[in-house]
Amino acid sequence: MKALDIIFGLALAIGGLLVPLSGDAYLMGLVFQLAMWIALAQSWSMLSSTTGYLSLGHAVFYGIGAYVCVLLTGVVPFGVALAAGAAASAVFAGLIGLPVLRVQGPYFVILTYGLAELVRNVVMRIESALGSFGRMIFMVPSFEVLVWCMVALGILATLGAAAVRHSALGAGLAAIRENEVAAETVGVPVARLKLLAFVASATIPGAVGGLALLRTGYFEPAQAFDPVISFTIVTMALVGGTETVRGPVLGALGFTLLSEALWSSLPQLYMIVLGLTLIAFILFVPRGLSGLADRALGRG
Amino acid sequence: MAFLDVRGVSKRFGGLMALNNVDMSVEKGEIFGLMGANGAGKTTLFSVIAGHVAPTTGEVHFNGRRITGLSPSRICRAGICRTFQIVRPFAGLSVEENVRVAAIYGSGRGRSRASRDTLVNEALESVGLTRQRAGLAGGLTLSGQKRLEIARALATGADLVMLDEVMAGLNPTEIGEMLETLAELRRSRGITFVIVEHVIGALMTLSDRILVLHHGERIAFGTPEEIGRNKHVEEVYFG
Repeated sequence: MKALDIIFGLALAIGGLLVPLSGDAYLMGLVFQLAMWIALAQSWSMLSSTTGYLSLGHAVFYGIGAYVCVLLTGVVPFGVALAAGAAASAVFAGLIGLPVLRVQGPYFVILTYGLAELVRNVVMRIESALGSFGRMIFMVPSFEVLVWCMVALGILATLGAAAVRHSALGAGLAAIRENEVAAETVGVPVARLKLLAFVASATIPGAVGGLALLRTGYFEPAQAFDPVISFTIVTMALVGGTETVRGPVLGALGFTLLSEALWSSLPQLYMIVLGLTLIAFILFVPRGLSGLADRALGRG
Repeated sequence: MAFLDVRGVSKRFGGLMALNNVDMSVEKGEIFGLMGANGAGKTTLFSVIAGHVAPTTGEVHFNGRRITGLSPSRICRAGICRTFQIVRPFAGLSVEENVRVAAIYGSGRGRSRASRDTLVNEALESVGLTRQRAGLAGGLTLSGQKRLEIARALATGADLVMLDEVMAGLNPTEIGEMLETLAELRRSRGITFVIVEHVIGALMTLSDRILVLHHGERIAFGTPEEIGRNKHVEEVYFG
């Protein structure tokens, strides 16, 4: 099972890195999307799958990264702008983390959603006060470079999620998910670990937002902080399965391919299918695609 | 100074004085009993010592160090761990994982993997959960979950373990086994215990000294024989 997962992951990673060499724009676009959603869903899982604190506001980290990146592109080298986007998201998570993570269950879900909307509106006000209703971005690196960077982020997020799960940190986060008071009692520094997981899960989405923005070449706050991004991340991670590192990869893969299929024929159906799938999985397949894969292969 | 030193601790919940100027000194290696009717303040005293509840006034010192105001996780790492009267297992994790978290994060931090394994195995063995180690904690019986509470506390490597009614809900055979387990742990590992128990027979057998609380106040203190002869205790306890 471990071996199969590693082979599958390696195949995806190598395939993703080779695709830009083909020069096929459609394939590159597909790989870019896929790597993006894997990176986002894996990052989300570092906090939400491990601790059970379900964030419905991860678009805020994507948006902040995109915003910082657009402000810096052209001023500093491209790599520095991306890193600054990631750092800005991490710092933001660090600043809001302690108070936000005191809130549990459905209240945490609503709070993260509300915070993301708040930041989206603040950025929209700032931009309209500055008289800009969207920014064009110039000096963008080639699409091949963007795809390579995004695939690298997908790989990094997956390795990061695996490292978190299989470390002492992961054991502590699992204890927090199961019973916070008991975790604290046996020595788990609950507040510190939750904050650490929150910052870890916010960092890569910042860089992802920056890359996604550089691809479109155009920044518009309503789009960069679109709550649909948050909904999609949660849906992919839950449908993929929260119990394994493989879950977010399967969820992202399933939905990216599904959206490609629908995009050509019935684009207006995409959101409906997203919703229906989420409901169906929560009701009937709580362990997600990952659990189905286990069963199909005759284990667990 | 005693190993655990509670000095003038009071705790007020609104209009209720849950603890009123309580002193308590526990020596290293002893088994210290805490007795009192429902609402006497035993669990509140545990919570104050373990850092879950901040005292209104008073101080707690452990091993020569003031621990009042520290978070429960830091108090645990200082060497004190408690169990809960209403069990709090990590239900979705295996029995072994429950205990392992305690070994990773408790006062045994920085231990090598091998010595953590030893700690986990010993803790499971001493409460008789070795055979169920792979099963989910949520699937244990109540008695099993009570024993898991103890195993987790032991695996933190604590020098002082506070047990809150671990015998409640156990049958007489299980109580007998538990008494042996605790006595053996003290002998072999020199662990100090503070125990709250409604099963008075068990408390009398096990404890070196007993403190009796009533409505948050200390009304008697002494060896089990002295407490057994105490008229005042008899009055408030047995009516």
